[in-house]
Amino acid sequence: MYSVHSRLKWGVTVFFSFFLLTASAQNSVKQNFQNAAVYAGIEVGSKGVKMSLLEVGKSSKKNSSFTILKDTSVNTDFISFTQPTFQATLNGLHGLFTVALKNYEIPSDRIFTVFSSGVKIQAEKDDKNSWILSMADSFKKRINEPLRQVNVIDVTEEARLSHLGIVPATRRYNTFLIDIGSGNTKGGYFPGGNTKDFKLFQLTWGTKSVANAVDKRTQEDKTLPNFNKQLYRVLAGEANTEVIYAVNLSGAYNMSDNIAFSGGIAWSVATLMLPELVENPVVPVTYDEVLKFSEKLYTNHASFSDSAIKKNLTDVTLDKNLIGTEVKRVNKVFDQRSLMAGTGLLLKIMRQFEGIYDKKQFFLVKNGAVGWISAYVDQSISGTK
Amino acid sequence: MKDSKSILLLVVSVLLILVSFALLWTWGYQFNDLTKAKSGTVYVIKDSTAAANATRDSLKRVYTATINSVGTLDSTWLTADSLKGNLDIRLSEFYKLRNEIAILLKNPGSKADIDNAKTKIGELQKKVEQLRDRNVEVERENARLKSVLEQLSAGNTKDAVQNLRTAVFDNKNSPEKNTPVAVFAASELKLSAMMVEDEKEQETYQAIQTDKMIGTFTVRNNNAAFNNAEIVIVVLQPNGRVLQNSGWDSGSFETREGKKIYSCKIRFEYSKGEAKHLSFSLSTNNFEKGNYSMQIYQNGVMIGKMSKTLI
Repeated sequence: MYSVHSRLKWGVTVFFSFFLLTASAQNSVKQNFQNAAVYAGIEVGSKGVKMSLLEVGKSSKKNSSFTILKDTSVNTDFISFTQPTFQATLNGLHGLFTVALKNYEIPSDRIFTVFSSGVKIQAEKDDKNSWILSMADSFKKRINEPLRQVNVIDVTEEARLSHLGIVPATRRYNTFLIDIGSGNTKGGYFPGGNTKDFKLFQLTWGTKSVANAVDKRTQEDKTLPNFNKQLYRVLAGEANTEVIYAVNLSGAYNMSDNIAFSGGIAWSVATLMLPELVENPVVPVTYDEVLKFSEKLYTNHASFSDSAIKKNLTDVTLDKNLIGTEVKRVNKVFDQRSLMAGTGLLLKIMRQFEGIYDKKQFFLVKNGAVGWISAYVDQSISGTK
Repeated sequence: MKDSKSILLLVVSVLLILVSFALLWTWGYQFNDLTKAKSGTVYVIKDSTAAANATRDSLKRVYTATINSVGTLDSTWLTADSLKGNLDIRLSEFYKLRNEIAILLKNPGSKADIDNAKTKIGELQKKVEQLRDRNVEVERENARLKSVLEQLSAGNTKDAVQNLRTAVFDNKNSPEKNTPVAVFAASELKLSAMMVEDEKEQETYQAIQTDKMIGTFTVRNNNAAFNNAEIVIVVLQPNGRVLQNSGWDSGSFETREGKKIYSCKIRFEYSKGEAKHLSFSLSTNNFEKGNYSMQIYQNGVMIGKMSKTLI
């Protein structure tokens, strides 16, 4: 069904990822185990398998009831629904489970496994629900835990959990969280002052879908000025209509003081625009700042290289190596055009909340990916689920 | 033999006559000298009194001129409300000095008294100069406040705000054009380390006991007519890094020295001239021993700074 070569390729990828994970995470986490309850959440997502290690209890002094100690992921592309990707995902899931169990000595009942809403949506669309069941059964069999629960989360629950996992309790009921993904955007807020009622917000546009639509419009002229021109047209056209409609429908403008964005583009913009805040998982921004950043992306993309950014840092207390590494990582994931497309969509949504009199505070969340699985674990152990 | 005796007697007589003349001349010289000396002293005494009188008259003229020039300060005394306390002290010092000089000039007992009066008149002149400068300052401030009041009473708030904006951002004294300046002044800065036990907070000086740091300060703005403002607080730890609660509270901001990270930001509403008491709280898992520095910024300009040491 699939070649030995491809099997070998996935096997090597997974093994290498585990090696890196084990090597990098041990020092940072083990020391925290002494006085705390550490849990693991493993999520099978559209693109791969993610694991978050979180500490719950008295030593987590930050705003939420838990602290994320470590997160890692393995790219497996499960939603391709092919045997190699199935096998790679199973290996990834089992591998991360083993790392949590053996390397970090987390008992099995403190390791939670779950499928994300993206997998569910794609499986329903492609009529591949059986692949999810098959994956769950294969995993239970491999770890020899037939009674283990491997739940599938729907989109509203995932967005709700993301909010609970990312936004601190002090800002819970006045913050609208928007996750800009590659293919779509989702988020929401709690309109009723409780965590059960959640108002979902969705867009069919994401960073990649905007870039694809622009690319389609550029036809033969693949130059950057033409990309920029067509990007403006895509965002001013159908994307604009949908954004305005969705924001109005959500009713979030009147109900929120803070608008927080998560997702890959939020991480990228935050890292390149405010490199001095590299260690902060969340950064505050203004519409004007992001607008200037967007213009600079087009006119002077070279100024966002790791060397250029490091050169401009004046604060001697900053860790320039850490900043350089993170900037390099962003530039590896997002090229100039992807950044322009994602930032354009981000600005389009921000614009809907940029009132003349009622100013909202915007935030960019960098570690949004671990939000919902962390909240899932937290909720599961507190017994409210 | 008889002749030789007569010659001897004649010589002796001549000598006696000569001695007598010499003595008479000496006495006459001494008498004359004594008479001259007596008449000279009388003359000197007569001249010294005249000089003293002349000095006193001159001092009196300077004194009178000085006193007369104070008359123009009366308006300052009557109209300066906020400066009245300060002026009160200065004027009472002035009146005290004036009375002292008047007594000295009326009955000068000795030369020392006149010298003393001279010194005091110098002091008096200095005080008059100071009061005159203060008067000009007060009149200028009155004129400025009057024009602001006129603008506001005319209901021309938009123009006033525009003018104030211009004043804030167009700093003519600054070498860099459009360099922002702070319009607030900070006072009563306090940074306290707190330990929390049984939900009760208590101040501590030990790093190991510290659970959080609480900062308080007062800001006042007498110039601008805005009704909301933003103050940025930077608390530096002993290792030079910025103390932060979480990313949701901190961020970065522009200053004249470049971008800086802030610990927290406070937005508040105020009325013109109101002293606004503000506070913030910062916590971290581990407070280090050493010096913590609190810096208060407004509009990118530092308006207050203090430090606190934890042992």
